[in-house]
Parts: sequence; C-alpha cells; structure tokens
Amino acid sequence: MLEATTAEKDVKRKGLHYLNIREQLTGYLFILPAFLIIFIFGLFPIAYSIYMSLFDWGIVKGKFVADKNYIMIFGSWKNLLIILVGIGLLIAAEWVWKKAFRSNKNGEMIAKLLGAVVLLAGGGLFVTGWMQMAESGNAQFLNSLVVTLYYALGTVPAEIILGMVLAYILYQEIVGKEIFRMLYFLPYVTPSVTTAVVFQIIFSSRDTSLANRLIGWFGADPLKWRFEPKPFLNLLGINLKGFLAGPSLALISIILYGIWSFVGYNTVIFLAGLGNIPKETYEAAEIDGASKWDMFKNITMPLLSPVTFYLMLIAFIGTFKAFNHIYVMRTPSAGVSVVTASLMIFDRFYKANQYGVATAQAIVLFLIILGLTFAQNKLMSDKVFYG
Amino acid sequence: MVNTALDIASAAKRKNNRVGYYLGKAILYLILILGAVVFIFPFFWMISTSLMTLGETITRVMLPKVPQWQNYITAWNEAKFSKYFLNSTLIALGTIAGLLFTSILAGYAFGRIEFKGKNIFFALFLATMMIPESVTLIPNFLMIQSKIIPLPGGSWMNTYWALTVPFMANAFSVFLLKQFFAQVPKELWDAARIDGADHLRFLVQVVLPISKAPIMTVLLFAFTGAWNAFQWPLLVTTKEVWRPMMIGLWNFTSEAGPETHLLMAGAVITLVPILVVYFITQKQFTQGIATTGLKG
Repeated sequence: MLEATTAEKDVKRKGLHYLNIREQLTGYLFILPAFLIIFIFGLFPIAYSIYMSLFDWGIVKGKFVADKNYIMIFGSWKNLLIILVGIGLLIAAEWVWKKAFRSNKNGEMIAKLLGAVVLLAGGGLFVTGWMQMAESGNAQFLNSLVVTLYYALGTVPAEIILGMVLAYILYQEIVGKEIFRMLYFLPYVTPSVTTAVVFQIIFSSRDTSLANRLIGWFGADPLKWRFEPKPFLNLLGINLKGFLAGPSLALISIILYGIWSFVGYNTVIFLAGLGNIPKETYEAAEIDGASKWDMFKNITMPLLSPVTFYLMLIAFIGTFKAFNHIYVMRTPSAGVSVVTASLMIFDRFYKANQYGVATAQAIVLFLIILGLTFAQNKLMSDKVFYG
Repeated sequence: MVNTALDIASAAKRKNNRVGYYLGKAILYLILILGAVVFIFPFFWMISTSLMTLGETITRVMLPKVPQWQNYITAWNEAKFSKYFLNSTLIALGTIAGLLFTSILAGYAFGRIEFKGKNIFFALFLATMMIPESVTLIPNFLMIQSKIIPLPGGSWMNTYWALTVPFMANAFSVFLLKQFFAQVPKELWDAARIDGADHLRFLVQVVLPISKAPIMTVLLFAFTGAWNAFQWPLLVTTKEVWRPMMIGLWNFTSEAGPETHLLMAGAVITLVPILVVYFITQKQFTQGIATTGLKG
C-alpha cells in the first residue's frame, strides 16, 4: 500500500514536472508578443531617457555632460536638497501631530505644538528652496509645474465629486438611465482634438462667442477667455500676486474643458462600483431606520472608497499626461500661463530640439508623479476600505 | 373617533411623504437633465454651426435658417479628408488587430496559466500605465527613425508601421481581459483538458466565445485611441502619405481660419466613425466595464 503510493507519487511527479514545463513555456509564449511591444516602447525608453538626459543631446548625440541638464532645472543640487528636506519635515510634522508623545499626559498638546513648529519649518524650507530654484534654475519649467498643479486642483476634485453625484442619482430608480449614462460618456469617447476645436470656438474672445453670451445673461462683460493670460482672480478685482493669484482665465477655459470631457468616465466607473455594493446592506440599514444621507455616508462612501481612490489616481496621473486638448486650445497670447509640464517638455523637444534638456525635465516629471502617487497611497491607505 | 383621527393623521403624513417623494424625484431628474444638457450642448452647437453660412456664424444665431449641407462637401475637400479618412481607418484596423492578438494571449496567460515570474511581469506591465508619454516620447521618436536599434526597412518615419506597431499592446487591455478570463470557471478547463484540448484550443473555442463584453470594451478603447491619436502622429508624419484624420483637422484649424462653419463641419466628420462604433459597442462596453474594470 505504502509502496504503491510512493510509486504513484513518483510517476505523478515526473508527469507533473513535464506538464509544468510545458505550462510554463505556454505562459511565456503567450505573453511574449505583448511583452515585446510594451518593453520596447514602454519600458526601455525610460532607461534610454535617463541615458539621454546625461548628454548634451541636440538632434544628434553630443558630448557627455553628466548632471548639467539637471543643474539647469534646479540651479544647484543644494536647492533640491533644501526642498527635499522641507518635504521631509512636512511628512515628519504630520507624524508628530498624530502620533508622537502619546504616552505623556499632556502629550497631545505638546505634539500638536511641536508638529506646528515642524510644519512651519518644513514649509519655510520648501518655499525657500523653490524661490532659489526659480532664481538660479529653470523658472519656466518650474512655472509649468505650477500650471500643472493648478490644472490638477481645478479638474480632479470637480471631476470626482460631479461623477459621484451623477452616478449616485443614476443609481436610484431612474427612467432612461441607460440614455443618461450614454450621453454622459460621450465627451470622453469623442476625439479630444475634435471637441477641443469646438471649445476653441466656444471660448473665443469674440463678443458673440458662446461663453461670452452665457456670462452676458448674468450681466457680465465679455471676456477674452483662451486669450487671457491674467489670473482669473485679478479679473474679479482681487489683486493677489504670485502663486496665490491662481490660474489664468485661459487655463480656466482649459480646466472647464477638462472637467466636461472627464466627468462621464468617472460616472460610468462609479456606477459600476455602486452596482457591486450588495443591496442587502442598504435593506438592513433601512430596517434600522437609517436615513438616505446616513446610508450614503456610512455605506456608500466607505464601500465606494477603493473606486474613488482608483479614479483619483487615474485622474491625477492624467493631468500630468494631458496634452492634446491643451495643445489645441492654447493661444500665443495666453503665453506660459497654460503651458503645463507635458507641453513644456514637448516644446523643448519638438520646437527647440533640445533632446537632452527635454529628457531631463521628463525624468523629473516622472519622479514627481511617482512621489505623488506614493504619497497619495500612504495618505489614503487608512481612509480606503477594501471590503 | 380616536381611530379616524389617527387615520387622517397617517393619511396626511403619507400624502406628505408622497409629495416629498415626487419633489425629490423631480430634483434628481432636473440635475440629470441639466447634466445631459451641459454634456450635449457643445455637440449640438457644433452641428448647428456646421450647417450655417459664414454670415450666420458671425451674427451667431442658434440655428441656421437653411441648413447648408454643402459645407460638409466643401470641408471634406478643403481639408483633404479623403486621404486622411482612409489612413485613419487603416491605422485603426491594424492597431485593433494587433492589440487584440497580443492582449488576448497575454490576458489569458496572466489569468489562467501558472508560470515563474508571472507577478513580476504583470507588475511591469501595470507600471507602464503610470508612465507619462513625455518620458517615452523622445526615445520612441529616435527609435522609429531607426537611430537606437536598426529597424526592418530602416527609418519608419511616415510609414504605416510607425503609427500602428507601438500601439499593438497596452497594459490596460491585458489587465481588463485578464480580469475576465480569470473568472472563467475552472470546471470548463478541466472538462476541456479531459477532451485533450490545450490552452490555445481552450482559449479559442471556449473562452473567446463567452468574452464578447470585455473584447468589445478593448475594441472600443483601441478604436478611439487609434482614431484620436494626435501627439504621436504629429511627430512621425511629416508628409501626407500616412497622416491621420486628427492631424488633418488640426491643420484645417489654421487653414479654415475664420470660417468656423467649415471647421465645425470638418469636426463633425471626424466624429462620425467614433459615434457609430460607440453606439454599436456601447452596451457590451458598459457591461465590460462593470464586470471587469473594477474587481481585483
């Protein structure tokens, strides 16, 4: 009996071994075509970009310049170090604020005081580093990062909130649900160049342009929209300067387009996410006398949080990638106020033929995206509920 | 007596509730319709403008008095759309064929086959979703010119290959199909294996026929991706040979100048194929998103 089983096992093992190798080979063979393309056009170029960024590379490769292209961005490594220490302190401040001195009786107050001090120090260092960088480094590139930040802050929260509201309403018993969903998704699937061309005309500076007629109904004077490099707040008569002045009206036109084209995607994904929440959960809550708002806050929001997180990530990365519609909607008179990082890099490369400089900027952008994604992951991880 | 009073009270309450209910519903519909108007109005406005005369575009009426259908013919000819339309169609078809081939195989492997390093490969695939085009664009531009590794046939500038091959695989499609394929019951595979089927036959004869929804989703995204491509074609097409529709429209924006009615007619033309494909695949597509896009 015992012998039989060992013999059996032996045969089985050999057979399995053969099968296993076959199985493995099939696996590799199946992923090979996709892997080749993704590797050649998606992964290898990152390494090659790093390589290029170390050279004085015009249309053809020039001499090795080590970190010169990066120094051109930062001014000096010292500036970058100051900024990084600043960011480090900001993170430390968050930790101190929440966790430090908890064993002590008055710990919480001490921690909050100390946290505030560290926070101020970190913020101060960050701003100092940034100012020095703008002075001795590439102010244009840094400005494009600020523009990108405006664009992200202007689009992502609005897209998420509107998408969630529309999805939540559509999830109720609504007649014509499919039609609404189909219409909402339309701006997302239609070509961005086409719709951006339409918005070009909607946001034109003519008195009779659609945007001007719309604000005309509310008694406002016509604006220059895509052609207006002045910050929107200044136009309203609020005279803030620098970063606080906010995005230009031209950038706001582009932000409005961005929201318009992306909300539908979020709606569809949220709707799918809502569909995955078991109906029984709501029924149980209803029996317990929960109101609609209670249910939304305590059931829908937490159970939907992985979807929300995913969409925020996608949208955030998307703002750093955004190109087509900004390229189409920008005007010479709006100047650098609408040039996001991806456009900046493209111009460096395509118009100025400075491949080395452009790749260095692209690598910096990539690292920023990685850092932000990581930070978002950390910050959100305790707020996301994975069922 | 007491009973009737209670009845009246509860009836009133019910009535109140019902009023509240309908009021709530009305507000919901109002929001939905408002949303729909905002999303649709630019399209309406585009079509309306495309049918106007030049004079009407300047005085800006909402609707043209007499629809100027010939605008479409003028725009088509002036923007040289015959050539670009054909180009874009061929590019989209080639890309879709390649993409379906690579991502169905890879999606199946990741979803149903055990092999060493699978997770690492999958992570590598997914990582590419986070990489901004800015980083890959410049090396790819050199690559296409055969400057990094020698390509078959030398430089691919202004060729069909430059516009299709780089898009013949992407992480999103592989991921989407993997999610779906992994859910196919194991019993089906066991039964097929007893019948002597290998993975390829199982994939083609059993898995594919039940995977219409995710494949349609991939197809729709691939088609819109290929049709909407702009940045890359801007780089790799310097002549008309393989210039696609979007570059044609972009060039037309400067050629049409103030003739917005022609520009809008051109814009509508570029939109039609997308709308057709969207309306055909729309049902499977939303189903595909719902069943595969989220889980996992």
